[in-house]
Amino acid sequence: MNRSACLESLVPHITDQLVVPSVSGQWIWGHLTKEHDGNLLLGSMGNALGVGLGMALGLPHRKVIVIESDGSVLLSLFNLPTLGALKPDNLVVFVFDNEKYSGSRISRPSATAAGTDLAAVARDCGISHAVEVRDLDSFKRESQGALSRQGLGFVVAKVEETLEHRQAERSTADLTENKYRFVRYIERTEGKAVFRGRG
Amino acid sequence: MEKDVAQKTAAALKGAGIDFVTYLPETRLSRILPLLEADSAFKLVPTSSEAEAVTIASGAALVGKQPAVYMEGTGLFVCSYNLLTVSIRVGTPILLLISYVGSMADQKNSFRFAPTGLRTEQQLRALNIEYQIAEDPAQVETQLQNATRMMHALKQPVALLFTGAFTL
Repeated sequence: MNRSACLESLVPHITDQLVVPSVSGQWIWGHLTKEHDGNLLLGSMGNALGVGLGMALGLPHRKVIVIESDGSVLLSLFNLPTLGALKPDNLVVFVFDNEKYSGSRISRPSATAAGTDLAAVARDCGISHAVEVRDLDSFKRESQGALSRQGLGFVVAKVEETLEHRQAERSTADLTENKYRFVRYIERTEGKAVFRGRG
Repeated sequence: MEKDVAQKTAAALKGAGIDFVTYLPETRLSRILPLLEADSAFKLVPTSSEAEAVTIASGAALVGKQPAVYMEGTGLFVCSYNLLTVSIRVGTPILLLISYVGSMADQKNSFRFAPTGLRTEQQLRALNIEYQIAEDPAQVETQLQNATRMMHALKQPVALLFTGAFTL
């Protein structure tokens, strides 16, 4: 299964959701949805799940999507029991698992190549609807289901390693500019101030 | 922490506008937790690691919450990566409520904590995080208001290190 094809299949379903990509597919996702002000660029591993969880708890009526990778989830595996304990019903997590650290440029295997089953780990942490998919039709079915229903969604997509992200167009907006774009979007759509203090 | 100090601290957090608290419990300040839990003004979020306590609070800050992260001083070392790569690099106003274990005024200091205490302020300075030491409960309301004002002015994490009478 190809990660870009999966991400492309999500695009028609993006309306007002808040989206937090980890480093996996961040440039591809950013290119596919560059008009969407609800994307928050983090540019680091091991943080997207926590940040997305904080958004979901802070705005419980708003759908939040986290786009993760195997390496990033493994770096912050403690997120899974917390997610399973809190069970925010407005959060959907997609984990693209290529069983490799592609960013290393020498494609060293991650622990999932040696048998760690992230969907099973998630289920054991109390994320009862965690599923693994291995083909695009299954991904479309599970992702659309997770996006349309209330409840914590957790979809692990087993994908092949590709180098498409290296060719993807990159935004020149840095993390601060991207943050303010995101924050102003929240203010517009929620009708409230995000940051406080005197001007 | 004695009961009246816990009550004063919890009330001061509310007065400073804090409405979202992530935490990993420890010994010295833990009596604030039942008070925060009992008050609907706070969303209290238990975590499994100080690392995610920081990232969860950062996410909440970006959607309009005013978060604090309560942790033991050792936790500062656990979450330094997340402070650096999210809270500092992106710029999220979060208030770090750190039990200053191993500091000179820590009333429960021991060989287990002193090596951590010795390095805690150095670690905050390395991260360029503005901080103050809170030792006197009579000052906690002012210190929390000042720290909250600073975190909003900087849009960065700001820390209070609790020791002295807070560690009784």
